Amino acid sequence: MAFLEVRDIVKSFGGLRALQDVSLSVEKGEIRAIIGPNGAGKSTLFNVMTGLLSPDSGEVRFDGERISGIPPYRVIRKGIGRSFQITNIFPRMSVFENVQVALFSHHRENRSALTLARNFREVTDEVLAVLGLVGLADKFDSSASVLSHGDQKRLEIAITLACRPRLLMLDEPTAGMSRFESRETIALLQKISREQGLTLVFTEHDMDIVFGISEKITVLQQGMVIADGEPAEIKANPEVRKAYLGEEIAE
Amino acid sequence: MTGFLDISFLTVQVLSALRLAAFLFLISSGLTLIFGVLNILNFAHGALYMLGAYFMFWVTSQVTGPGGFFLAMAMAPLGVALIGMILEMGLLRRIYIQEEIYQLLLTYALVLIIDDLAKIVFGAEYKSIPKPAFLEGAITLFGGTVPTYTILVVVIAPTVAALLWYLLYRTKTGKVIRATSSDREMADALGINMKALFTLVFAFGAVLAGFGGALAGPARTVFPGVGTEVIIECFVVVVIGGLGNLWGALVGSLLIGALETVGIIVFPEFEMGLIYLLMVAVLVVRPWGLFGKPLKIKALSEKNLSFESQEISPVHFSSRPWLWVIPVVLLLIFPAFAGRFYQYLLTQIFVAALMAVAFNLLLGTTGLLSFGQAAFFGVGAYTVGLLLTKTGTGTMPALGLSLFTSAVAASVIGFFCVRLTGVHFAMLTLAFGQLIFAIAFKWYGFTGGDNGIQGIPVREIPLAGLGLLDIGSTKSMYYFVLVVAGLAVAFLRRVRSSPFGATLKAIRENGQRASYLGINVTLYQWTAFVIAGTFTGLAGGLFALMERSISPEIIHWTKSADPVLMTIIGGIYTFVGPAVGAVVLIVLNSYIVAWTEYWALVLGMVLLLLVLLLPGGVIGFVNEKARDYLTRSGWIRRWLFSKSATS
Repeated sequence: MAFLEVRDIVKSFGGLRALQDVSLSVEKGEIRAIIGPNGAGKSTLFNVMTGLLSPDSGEVRFDGERISGIPPYRVIRKGIGRSFQITNIFPRMSVFENVQVALFSHHRENRSALTLARNFREVTDEVLAVLGLVGLADKFDSSASVLSHGDQKRLEIAITLACRPRLLMLDEPTAGMSRFESRETIALLQKISREQGLTLVFTEHDMDIVFGISEKITVLQQGMVIADGEPAEIKANPEVRKAYLGEEIAE
Repeated sequence: MTGFLDISFLTVQVLSALRLAAFLFLISSGLTLIFGVLNILNFAHGALYMLGAYFMFWVTSQVTGPGGFFLAMAMAPLGVALIGMILEMGLLRRIYIQEEIYQLLLTYALVLIIDDLAKIVFGAEYKSIPKPAFLEGAITLFGGTVPTYTILVVVIAPTVAALLWYLLYRTKTGKVIRATSSDREMADALGINMKALFTLVFAFGAVLAGFGGALAGPARTVFPGVGTEVIIECFVVVVIGGLGNLWGALVGSLLIGALETVGIIVFPEFEMGLIYLLMVAVLVVRPWGLFGKPLKIKALSEKNLSFESQEISPVHFSSRPWLWVIPVVLLLIFPAFAGRFYQYLLTQIFVAALMAVAFNLLLGTTGLLSFGQAAFFGVGAYTVGLLLTKTGTGTMPALGLSLFTSAVAASVIGFFCVRLTGVHFAMLTLAFGQLIFAIAFKWYGFTGGDNGIQGIPVREIPLAGLGLLDIGSTKSMYYFVLVVAGLAVAFLRRVRSSPFGATLKAIRENGQRASYLGINVTLYQWTAFVIAGTFTGLAGGLFALMERSISPEIIHWTKSADPVLMTIIGGIYTFVGPAVGAVVLIVLNSYIVAWTEYWALVLGMVLLLLVLLLPGGVIGFVNEKARDYLTRSGWIRRWLFSKSATS
């Protein structure tokens, strides 16, 4: 069985079918892009896969365990990290504290109420290491809310990475970034996933990025998977061209 | 009693229930309309009701006769509308982008101010409003005697409801109002003039409150502070019906009207508790009320983050823990220099500070506004009071048990409350608080009812091998409370600086993100609720010891406002803020009360200025100034504060 297995997911809102029999499987260590026009169901699929929404039918299995229908905090504990389209950080906490609280959770130390947070020396070292990894080490004591947009996105990646996920799910990791910032972020993600052997599933609008880094691509349209395969196959797929990519990947 | 099936009896009861429902609907429809469009839960709505009744009183005293009566009925709501417009344009408009707590506090400050102004203008005594002769009598209906005025009320209220329905569903402005209340951004995008619309809606809500006051005035009486009773009933109505929903207000009014009428007949000892019981029951089953929908959670970016960096300011004393020795030593030697009055004053402050600091673990740290904290204070106080008066329990075991009982109460109440957020959370804690208040107030056999408990004996405390410690004198009580409250505060400080505390802060900042770190948000909120409730209970226990008498008044919802005020005065995002707020509030109180009877007016003004000018509170302000100063003078900074990465 594949590392991440999505089987026949159906999800409706009212009368609207957001996802129809969506299936896909991702192997360990793979970099997978999920693409599709706006409203194709990418975010809904992400929300189902990480427990924010329960599917009407079908299931999601991660490393052999069923994870659909259980609340996000338990999905995360199984080794999945998620970042969001809209920057999702802890604004009125310092950069350091943002990552620190993630690590406390990862080490199940957030229930210790009688030891001072600063006495967890190993956590402190780890926080600085993670911040170093994303290039925010020198900004550790500024408030997260005053960072630039790109830095906030990187902080969010740092928070997500701090929990040592085996599977990283990124919903438009470069949304709102300048071209330069996107390139940097993508290079960073590639480097990290290679170094740590992470499996990466992401959605993205920028086709240069999608075709530049992903090993496999799943195309959604109107809640259905219309194509699934390697970048070259996807580029050649007439249905994909017709439905969505047409002008964007025309050479 | 001739039985329920007696037609004349039924007629009288049904009409009296309808009359009550009519008053409730008039007032709460305005409240819910304002909430729906402006997203503000207006505490001052009860005060607007009161103004309506006073205006009615004033106009009828100037122009007598039936003409004067109906003139007053028309003038009073318009007068209230004018005041509503002034309040909206002058004050409320400034705080729409602020967090809920500041909006609630601003309207609460208005309650205090308007109540005292009414006292100054109209006097403190109860006023009754004369009815014209033809409305004075009673008619016989199905064999029952019904006051003519009741008939008038029962006819007028549905007429107003129908008019309201017409305005909202059949006119263009009404459609715009409904669109705005269901989707504010959409309305904004459609180019609706939001400023004017908000003023209009607030004024319209004020008209309804004022009309409710004008109509209820001649049937009831009017006095300063009548609004605080009315507003709580209306909160119950709109929360049961679903905040922002007009039909909810209608159904809620009918339910409460019926329940209170039946309650008086069937269950007279507990009539007051019934409506809170109903509210709790409804919210437990349907957290958003009968007709309500879950509120869209405001994104943090929409809110004003003007004091965003306070908590991570370099102003930490963490690296110089010995600096804490200075205030501790000062407090220890204080009784040597000060008389009994000041010792007593400070003891009061210790108790209040403990309550406020415990409360702020919920508000400032976890981001949950509880409006029922007095319940736990009461549970602690009554535990100590009852154990010491009715049993031979020692002082320390009683105090220990007060921790236990308040922890149990907080676990049960918290279990239901933490499923809600924002205003709904505040309202459910308020309902539970009032339920406990009703129990203490009415259960004469156990709690002494409204007499409370007097003459609580404070027994000597055995110290292992060192004899007995007598804490009967003012001075020894000062030291006892200082030590117990001091230890508790130190404990709470530790909790706040622990990984657990960091987790609570993360939940406050962004609950969704926190759950995506593997944190069980509800469980942590619940735990914080229990810790806050437990230590508030300890404060109550200490209060019972130092005062030696307690009354249900300490559980009333207006007492739940105290820790909120202290926290906001001192500084919400600081640890010592609430304690500083306790000092300010209690010192101000004891001096201003000696100087003027209009304490509430002064407090209201202080709150108003604070919300508008210093949202970070006293300590927030000091921190900011200190930071400005310290960044300029490097050596002080180096001396006082280390640049430790983890502080």
